[in-house]
Parts: sequence; C-alpha cells; structure tokens
Amino acid sequence: MKLAGLKSVENSHDESVWAATWVPATETRPALLMTGSLDETVKLWGSDELVLERTNTGHSLGVASVAAHPSGLIGASASLDSFVRVFDVDTNATIATLESPPSEVWQLRFNPEGSTLAVAGGGSASITLWDTATWGLVATLPIPRPEGPKPSDKSGSKKFVLSVAWSPDGRRLACGSMDGTISVFDAARAKFLHHLEGHFMPVRSLVYSPIEPRLLFSASDDAHVHMYDSEKKSLVGAMSGHASWVLSLDVSPDGQALATGSSDRTVRLWDLNMRAAVQTMSNHTDQVWGVAFRPPGGTGVRSGRLASVSDDKSISLYDYS
Amino acid sequence: MACVYIPVQNSEEEVRVALDQLPRDAADILDILKAEQAPLDLWLIIAREYFKQGKVEQFRQILEEGSGPEIDEYYSDVRYERIAILNALGAYYSYLGKIETKQREKEEHFILATQYYNKASRIDMHEPSTWVGKGQLLLAKGDVEQAFAAFKIVLDGDRDNVPALLGQACVEFNRGRYSESLELYKRALIVHPRCPAAVRLGIGLCRYKLGQFDKARQAFARLDPENAEALVALAITDLHTNEAAGIRKGMEKMQRAFEIYPYCAMALNYLANHFFFTGQHFLVEQLTETALAVTNHGPTKAHSYYNLARSYHSKGDYEKAGLYYMASVKEINKPYEFIFPYYGLGQVQLKLGDLRSAQSNFDKVLEIYPDNCETLKALGHIYVQLGQTEKAQEFMRKATKIDPRDSQAFFELGELLISSDMGAALDAFKTARSLLKKGGQEVPIELLNNIGVLHFERGEFELAEQSFKEALGDGVWLPFIEGSEKFQEIDASASVLQYKDRQLFHRLEDSGRHVELPWNKVTPLFNLARLQEQLHNAETASILYRLILYKYPDYVDAYLRLAAIAKARNNVQLSIELVHDALKVNDKCPNALSMLGELELKNDDWVKAKETFRAASDATDGKDSYATLSLGNWNYFAAIRNEKRNPKLEATHLEKAKELYTRVLLQHPANLYAADGAGVVLAEKGHFDVSKDIFTQVQEAASGNIFVQMPDVWINLAHVYFAQGNFSLAVKMYQNCLRKFYYNTDSQILLYLARTYYEAEQWQDCKKTLLRAIHLAPSNYTLRFDAGVTLQKFSASTLQKTKKTADEVRSTIAELENAVRLFSQLSAASNLHFHGFDEKKIDTHIDYCKNVLAAAKPHLEAAIREEQQIRQRQEVARQVALAEEASRKAEEQRKFQLERRKQEDELKREQWKSSTPGSKRRERSEIDDEEGGNSEKKKRKGGKKRKKDKGSKSRYETEEAEADMMDDQEDLEDEDANINYREPTGQNDQDDAEENAHDPLAAAGLEDSDAEDDMAAPSSTTGRRRRAWSESDDDEPLERQPLSRENSPELRDSDEEVKDEGHRPNGLDAAEDED
Repeated sequence: MKLAGLKSVENSHDESVWAATWVPATETRPALLMTGSLDETVKLWGSDELVLERTNTGHSLGVASVAAHPSGLIGASASLDSFVRVFDVDTNATIATLESPPSEVWQLRFNPEGSTLAVAGGGSASITLWDTATWGLVATLPIPRPEGPKPSDKSGSKKFVLSVAWSPDGRRLACGSMDGTISVFDAARAKFLHHLEGHFMPVRSLVYSPIEPRLLFSASDDAHVHMYDSEKKSLVGAMSGHASWVLSLDVSPDGQALATGSSDRTVRLWDLNMRAAVQTMSNHTDQVWGVAFRPPGGTGVRSGRLASVSDDKSISLYDYS
Repeated sequence: MACVYIPVQNSEEEVRVALDQLPRDAADILDILKAEQAPLDLWLIIAREYFKQGKVEQFRQILEEGSGPEIDEYYSDVRYERIAILNALGAYYSYLGKIETKQREKEEHFILATQYYNKASRIDMHEPSTWVGKGQLLLAKGDVEQAFAAFKIVLDGDRDNVPALLGQACVEFNRGRYSESLELYKRALIVHPRCPAAVRLGIGLCRYKLGQFDKARQAFARLDPENAEALVALAITDLHTNEAAGIRKGMEKMQRAFEIYPYCAMALNYLANHFFFTGQHFLVEQLTETALAVTNHGPTKAHSYYNLARSYHSKGDYEKAGLYYMASVKEINKPYEFIFPYYGLGQVQLKLGDLRSAQSNFDKVLEIYPDNCETLKALGHIYVQLGQTEKAQEFMRKATKIDPRDSQAFFELGELLISSDMGAALDAFKTARSLLKKGGQEVPIELLNNIGVLHFERGEFELAEQSFKEALGDGVWLPFIEGSEKFQEIDASASVLQYKDRQLFHRLEDSGRHVELPWNKVTPLFNLARLQEQLHNAETASILYRLILYKYPDYVDAYLRLAAIAKARNNVQLSIELVHDALKVNDKCPNALSMLGELELKNDDWVKAKETFRAASDATDGKDSYATLSLGNWNYFAAIRNEKRNPKLEATHLEKAKELYTRVLLQHPANLYAADGAGVVLAEKGHFDVSKDIFTQVQEAASGNIFVQMPDVWINLAHVYFAQGNFSLAVKMYQNCLRKFYYNTDSQILLYLARTYYEAEQWQDCKKTLLRAIHLAPSNYTLRFDAGVTLQKFSASTLQKTKKTADEVRSTIAELENAVRLFSQLSAASNLHFHGFDEKKIDTHIDYCKNVLAAAKPHLEAAIREEQQIRQRQEVARQVALAEEASRKAEEQRKFQLERRKQEDELKREQWKSSTPGSKRRERSEIDDEEGGNSEKKKRKGGKKRKKDKGSKSRYETEEAEADMMDDQEDLEDEDANINYREPTGQNDQDDAEENAHDPLAAAGLEDSDAEDDMAAPSSTTGRRRRAWSESDDDEPLERQPLSRENSPELRDSDEEVKDEGHRPNGLDAAEDED
C-alpha cells in the first residue's frame, strides 16, 4: 500500500485549516471535500483537481470540526463560538443552528444510518445527540468519572470531551477526552458501558474500523495511536512513531490502512497487518489537523483518495492504493 | 706422544720428559729444571703443557718460579724467554680477570697481569708480544682506545703480526667499525692461512654486522661443523631470514650447538627464546638458569633475565616478571644495546599501577625507537591515566601516523578524542573498524557501540542504528527491533502499567524461545533503545528496556528511561512506580531521586519534592549539579508561586535560588542550565540587560547539540524583549521557539505571544493567536476569557478612532457580539464550576460589552450614513457627469442629424424617430437633478444630526477612555491572575479568593475616576513585567530539568563504556616485536 501525492492547494483558506471530511457522492455529483478553518469559513472542493465549489460563511471564531451526513446532502460544522450550523451541502441553505449551552462543541459525527448527529460537548463532559429529522436534542450522554477517582482531581475539565466516533454498525458510540480516557456508550440505549484506559493525554481523534465493528483507533497527544477492542476492553496494539501529538486519524475504506496526521507536520500511513508505519508524507509545513479517506461509492470513482489539511493553510490530496 | 728433553748439565745426557706424563707435583719438575739449569724455553713448554691439561696450579707454580728474582739473576741475558714467561703469566691473569665476576678479585687479577707485563716491558720495551698481551689486557678491561694504541705499536713495527692484527680487529669490532675490523681479520688470514677458527668467526661476525648475511654464512660455514660458536652464529643468521624454514633450520643448528657444547649462553638464550614462543615455559626457565650460571657476560645475562622475565610475564606472574626485568635492566649499561627489558618492565609496572616508573621506562624505549607504535600507545595510556589528555592524544596521533594500519591505535585515539572532538573521534573509530574489516577480523562490540553513540550524538540516527545493530548481531531482540514480534493483547486497564510488564518474555520462554542477552551486549542494546526513543519509537524502546531488565533487573538506567517514557506520556503514576523500582536497586541513586523530585513537583507535592531533591543532593555530597539545580529551581518556584507575594519570603527564596545556581556555576562554569537560572533571577530583579546577555550566550551555546534542548532560554529571551518593549523581536522569538521546540503545540507560549500582540495593539493577531491556543488547549477557559477581553479591547479602540468605515464598525460590532457570547458562555459554565472564574466579574464584562455595543450602534449608523452620503455624492457627481455627457452627445447628435437631414432628405422619417431617445435622456437628467437636490437636503440634515451626536459622543468618549484605561489594567491583572491558574500550585480555592479580591476593584474600576487610574498605572506596569516573568516560571524550569536529566544517564553510560574499554590490558604484543 502506498500514498502518492496528487494535488496540493496552497492558501486554500486564509488561515489554518482545522477540519476536513468527505461529503459522500450523491446521484447528481461526485464526493466533495469539506474543510473548515480558523478563517471562519467552510469550503467545499471538487475532486481530484480540488476546485473550490463554494465558500460558506456564517461562523465566528474559527471552524473546529465538520461532518457530512451519509446521504451526502447535509453538512454540519462547529466553531469555537459553540454553534453548530447544519446546512444543505448543495445550496448552503441553513437547515438548523444547534446549541446547548453551556456546552461547547468539538468533534461532530453523523451515525451511519444518518438519523443522529453526535457532538462532543467539551467541558460539559457529555455528548449531545441530535435528531436529524427534527433537529431536536435527543439525549445528553454524560461521562461518569472512572471508578475510584482521586479526591485531588480538582478540575472538572479533566473529562473535557473532544472527540466522538460511531461504530460501523451504529450500535456503539465512543468519545475521547482531555485526560486520555475513552468512554464507550451503547448508542441505542444511551447508556455508558465502560472506559478504555491507556492514554494520559488528550485524545483528539477516534475512529472505528469499517470492517471490524469492535476495533477502535485513538489518536492522542502522547504521540501514540492505540488500537482497542472496544467490547473486550483490551488494548490490542500501540503504535509509536510520530514526534509530536497525533491530531487526527482515519481508516481506509478497505480497513487495511490507517492514516494519521500529527503536529510533527507529517501524514503517516500505517499497515494495520504489520502494525507499522509504511510511509511518511512530509509535504505539509505545519501541524496536520485533519486526514480523511474518501468513502467508496459514486460514479466513476474507483480509486482511493486521502485528503489532509494543515495549519500551513494548505490542502493535499493523495492517491491511496 | 710429544716429549721434551732436559739436557743434563755438563753431560751429553738428557732427561726425557713425556709431556703427557708430567708429575702431579710440579715441584719434581721444578727441581729438575733448577738442578739442570734447563733453558727457560723448556720451563715455558712444560708450564704450557700443564695449562693445557688444566693443571693451572702447576702452570702458575712453574711460571712464577721461572720469573722469580733468582732466574732474573741467573738468566739475566736470556731476555726473550724471560719476557715470554712474564707475558704468559700476564695473559693468564688477564684471562682470570676477564672471567672473574667479583669486582675486587677482578681488579686484583688485572693488577697482577699489569705488573707482569710491565716487568716484561722493563726487560725489553720493544718486544711486540708484550704489547699484544697488554693490548689484550686492556681489551679485557674494556679500555678499547688504549688497547688500540698498544696493538698499533706492534703493527707499526710489523704490519703482519697476526696476534696484533687479531687484537686490533677485535678493537675495531668493539668500536663498531666493522669494515676496518673485517680488513684486519682478512689480513690475518692472508698472513696466516691456517689461523684458528676465531678468525673466520670474526670475519663472519663482521660481515654479519655489515649486513652481508650471505658472506657471513659462508664464513661461518667454512668453520668446523662441530664448532659450537659457529653453529650458533649460523643459527642466528638462519633465524634472521624470518622464514619458517630458516627458523626451523636455525633452531636445529642451535640445538646441535647445544648438544656439542651445552654451556654456550648464547645458544641457551636462543633456545629459551624459542621455547618461550612455543609456550614451553619450563624449558625456558631451565635453559636461562643454565645460561645465567655459565656466563658473566652482561648483555648475555641481560638477555637471559629478559627471557625469564618474559616467561613469567606471559604467565601473569607480574611480581616475578618485574623482578627479572629489573635484573635484566641492571645488566645493561647502555639501554640502546638491549631495550626490550625496559619495555617489559614498563608493561609490568603499568599493570601494577606504578605509572611514573612505567612512564620513565617507556620513555627510554622511545628514545631509542622514537617511532615504536606500541610504546607510543603505552605512553598514551599512561598519560590518560595521569590525566594529561593532550599529551596522550599527541602520542596516540603519532602512533596512528606511524602505523596507519594499527586498528588498536585508532581505537584508542578515538576514545581519547571523544570528550574533546567527537568528529575526529568518530573518524578514528571508523578507521579502526575498516582496518579490522579489511583484515578479516571481528570488529569488537565496544568499537561498534562507540561509533553508534557518536553518530547518535551527531544526529546521524540511521548510521547510529546500523552500528548498534551490527554490534548486537542476531538475538532475541531482533524480532522486537524489526517489529515482527506482535504486540501482545492486554487488558486496557492493565495497559496503564504496560511498561512494567515483563510477562511477554516469560511467554516467549514458555513457548520454547531462548531469551538470552550477553552482558557485553547490554550497553549497545540500551543505546539502541535510547535511539529508538529519539526516533519516537517509544514502544520498541520500551520493549528493549524491559528486555534488559528481564535479564539484568539491577540496571537502574533502564528503569529511569522507562519512567521517562511514561512521564512523556503523562502517565505520572507509572513513572513514579518505575522510579521506585530503580530506587529499590539503589536508594541513593541521585538520578532516580532527581527524577522522583520532578514527578512529585508534577503532582504538586512541593514539600516532598524538596526533600527528594535534598536527598539527591546529599547522595552526591552536593556535587551533583543537577540536584543542586533542582533545588535552585524549587526555590525559584517557591519565590514566585504565591499569588499574595510575601516580599520577604520572595526575596529569601530568590536569594537562595541565586546562591544555588551560582554554586553550580562555580563547579561547572559551562553549565547552561545554571546560567539560565541565574539569568532568570537577575531578570526577576529587573537587570534586563545583564540577563539578556546571559540568555543570548546560553542560547548560542545550546544550539548544535541534539541532547541540549533549551526552549526555556528562548522564552526567557523573548520575555526580556517583551519587558523592554521590543515587541516585534519578542514575537519572533516566541514564534521560533514554538516552531523549533514544540511543533507549534504549546498553548502557553501562544498565550505569551498573544500577550505581546495585545501590548503591541495588534488585535487581529492577538485574537487569532488566542483562538489557536483555545484550539490546542480546549479545556483552558482562561484563554476564552482572554479572547473575550481582546475582542472587547479591540472594539473599544476601534470605536475611539475618529475615522472609521462602516465595515470597520460592523466588524467591531461582530467582535463585540462574539465577546458577549464568550463571556456569557463562561458565565453559564461557571455555574458548573468548569473553571475558577467569578460569575459576577464575567457579568461585569458582559455588561460593559453590551454597553459598548449599544454605544456602537449610533457609530454604525453614522458611519453608514456617511458612507451613503459619500456614495450618493459620488453618485450625484457621476450622474451629473453622465447627464452632461449625454446632453453633449445628444447635442452633437442633433447637430449631426440636422446636417444629415439636410443632406439626406429622402430618409426623413427614420431620422426623426431616432431623435426621440435623446429627448428621453434629457428628461432623466432632470430627474437626476431633482434627486441631487434631495440628497443635498439629506446631507444637511445628516450634518445636524452629527452635531448632536458629537455632543453625545464626547460623553461616550470620555467614558470609554476611562473604561479603557481601567480596562487595560484590569485586563492585564485578570490575565495575569488567570495565567497563574496554570502554575503548579494550582490552588484553585486560593485563586478564587484572589479573584474575589480583585473583583470589587475591577468592577469599581469601570466607574472609577481618572485620578485613581493615574495612581494605579505606574505600579501596574512594574507588576505586569514581573508577572510576565512569573508566567514563564511554571513552564520553564520544570521543563528544562527533564531535558538535562533524561539525557544524562545514557550519556554517562556510554562514557563509562568507553572508559572501560580504555582500561583494557595492553597485551603482550610488544614481545612479538622482538627479533
């Protein structure tokens, strides 16, 4: 397996690019790359030439996360001012503006069926779930403190929730927090199941394997990527190699490869069978905040694509094979 | 059988004396000789016969009788025979003197001999044989020049006098003038072709000495094959061919010589030498003991002692070897004749630790062989141990220059250079490695390890890895390094203690694999693990460290490295446990104690940390600069940790910190961390210029070594620039530091940066920087607060501007709304106690922002109006211009058409039609005029309104100004206060109290009078500066220690390794050098 650089857009945004995701293809158009930036805009790019399709404004204080509905019709973006904006991808018409004070909003993810949007609630130590039909708040999943907390743990900010991930079957929801713990929920019953330990620094990105519903990958500031069996509560693997924080990760649609973006300015490709880094891309000149594999589907799209976005204001697109 | 006949006096008869039947008692013969007054030559003949038969006593008796005063009287005119008798006695005593070992007897014999010769000379001072005898005597006494004179006298009289020729040849030989000697021997041979074997031997020796080995061989070969000396000589020439066959032949001859004559010391020595190399030490001892018994010849004895010494040396009996070397050296008058024992003695003394004596002996060897590599290396060694590194280097360099193929010399040179010149050391090691490889020899692990370490230190990680791997070779570690060994699945909650787990090796052994780790591979393995860490392969590193601990559970450094990895991953609990494991091995280990102190600080265990640092310091008698530095830092933190700032306490702590830093600097003037600390204390006291100099120097010194990472000094320098108001430089410095050391991930430095932008009034930069910081550290609500304050300040300052566009005002309003949102969120969150802010205070900010927002609306309207007016004015102008243009054109067209109408009457109708648009246009321009009028009216109205506004605005402005000023101060204080939340003290309650204390003031500040502002302003600036400093503290000293310490264990370790190598025995290689 390998990555080959296809296209890079320098100064794709006026400021650091903080988030990226692929909007799945619809019947009328192929998949689009959606990026969010400190410059308070969300942009949509056509593949493979990375042609700018649209610039969405309407956020303040920087866009921290973007998410796309599996249908490819709806997009959601979250910014530091704690608003979530839900919009029609093709028209940029605002569908809803979500907020649930006092909780901030960090990572967003639609569930695989597309019925629910999960939002990492930051300092509120919870995940909020929104119904995508009514855009009403479905549930708030609070994260319990781990068993036997030390009384000296003085700040509530320890359970600050940063990241969320849905299992491919939609039955599990995992979230990562500032103190490094990962919490696993039963999504259907909105019930907390257990914690996964191993990290002691912020977990900024989580993703389930698309082919093994129990296998969960986590990216942490401790420069490690962990592989957990989220049901068995066991650590299956630990991969080190990045020189600094691992900011984002994504598993390839075939489930064979993992891509990570790090503060060390590199994108790494990991072979999940060997559990070793097989390639390091150093084309970015600053922190790589987002990596995303393009989902399969759409007309005339067979080959794999990986996109990465960085503080250096650029977007890069790679061929994955 | 030969007989002599003694004529009977006065008769024809003779007494027949059979020479082989001489009476035992010489007196019988003497009686006859005396009675018959036998001629003196008979006396001599008989005496000589006795001598030949070994009856020395009788020989002496006859001759003494024959040279007595009676004889002198009686035979007074028989001169020649009398001389002959005296000479015979002289020769006899010369010989006695020559072989006598005891000095006094020797002297006595020589004196007697001299007396006899002198007596002979008195009889006839021209008798050549007397001169020959004298010459021999002088030779025996070692008086070569006088001997030369004596022989010369004879030869001047008779140039073919064979004995004189031989004597002179001997003299010349001893003088080292071999060709002259050879000439003399040749002449003797020509004069007397049947001369004794000694002549040919002499010729052979001369030729040998002249390097004409073949001719020498011929000369020796012409001698009697049973002549032991000749055989020895031949054997030696054979041995010198230095070929296996020659040596074998030589040894055979030597053996035959030994069989013929077992007391030839030379042969014995050579045989002993031979058996030394074949390792038959028992024979060596026997032979040399015999040789010592049979010879008194100094050099030969020296050789024998040397053989004996060498034998003991090689058996490792250094005491005895030393004694015999000493004996050998004593036999040697001039070291250049036989230098080997000095070398051996030097080696033994080196071994026994007598460096000075060893040095003097090696120096002697070096005088004679200035280019001897082994000696140069040995001296290099001694100088290393005497601490004279430069001299040692000089010798080693020379050794490598003389023999560029001596891998050992390069290896040792490399070791010497490690501390002073890494590049040169690496080159030397590499040369050694390639020499060994070329020679097909195995490259020692230590050498490869050293090469690896040097590459590592130079940042050439791939080369370092290759070298370590080569040193390690194949083993149980290989699958782990290559990653082919799979990670073992473990329970997630157990994974917290992952780095303590060694089960994996047990499992390996259970599965039948051998988990082996030879002791000499531990160091390269440790270094490789360290390298993996550097390459961020922490997992691989941790497995290797655990492997070391599995086999060698006392390897403290491996625990500490694992603890460091755990610490880097913020797993403090595990890290502490690992350090405790290390302390179980050695509870006084200063490194482990220092690390424990760090961890305790990280856990906010101040009192414990201080005790631990003390213990670390005590464990090394205060000599460990790291422990002292830690204590210094502790004091520094203690000085600035307290919000309330007890000035007295602060001063004491600062003073103590300074004292500790200074102490380290006195011990190690080049200690960067101590210098940095001293700079911080100085800056804390306001000596910015001095501290800037210090920081700049430290920064320069710290660059260029991968093990010295000192971001703190960059931050400190930036702080100084900031405090001095040099914002642009401060910004650059912070940014470089962030990028260079933190991959732009440190939100604290971003906060410093934002603070600098704030002071520089670069609001957008300030805002963006804070947003970045929030993005990096989402749970740090202080940053949000600061962002709110920045937006507020930005808005206020924009509104204050006299000229502003509507867009500016619009964005100001947007930012104000953002600020309100930020503050309200904080306010809402404060109910949940996410952070330690006071709700009231935030509300005050919200109110203020809302006020400004309200105040901004008229500004916006005004600005919009103004813009509209401008736009309208422009529009009017444009329209007027357009109208004019249009009418002009219309006019033109009309004229044109009129003309055309005149010219083309046929097409009238069409022409008339075309003129209608022109009239329409006219209408429109009229309308425009009307509009223009309107707008003018509007404008006038606007003007009025503006006047009114002015009144209100001035009110606002003053209010704003006040608010701003107050705000400034307040914000700064807020920021500072908030920043302090991140300090290790982290006592929220206290901070809360502090906040509350601030609060009324801050709230009041909004309505406060100018007077108070002015009062407060100056003090706040100083406070600000100080706080700028205090901001840095929590980060910097905490960070810098792990850096210095984490690196040192393995560095030390590799150093040790290097040193250990240095101690290696020099071996006996020198002995092989010998013929």
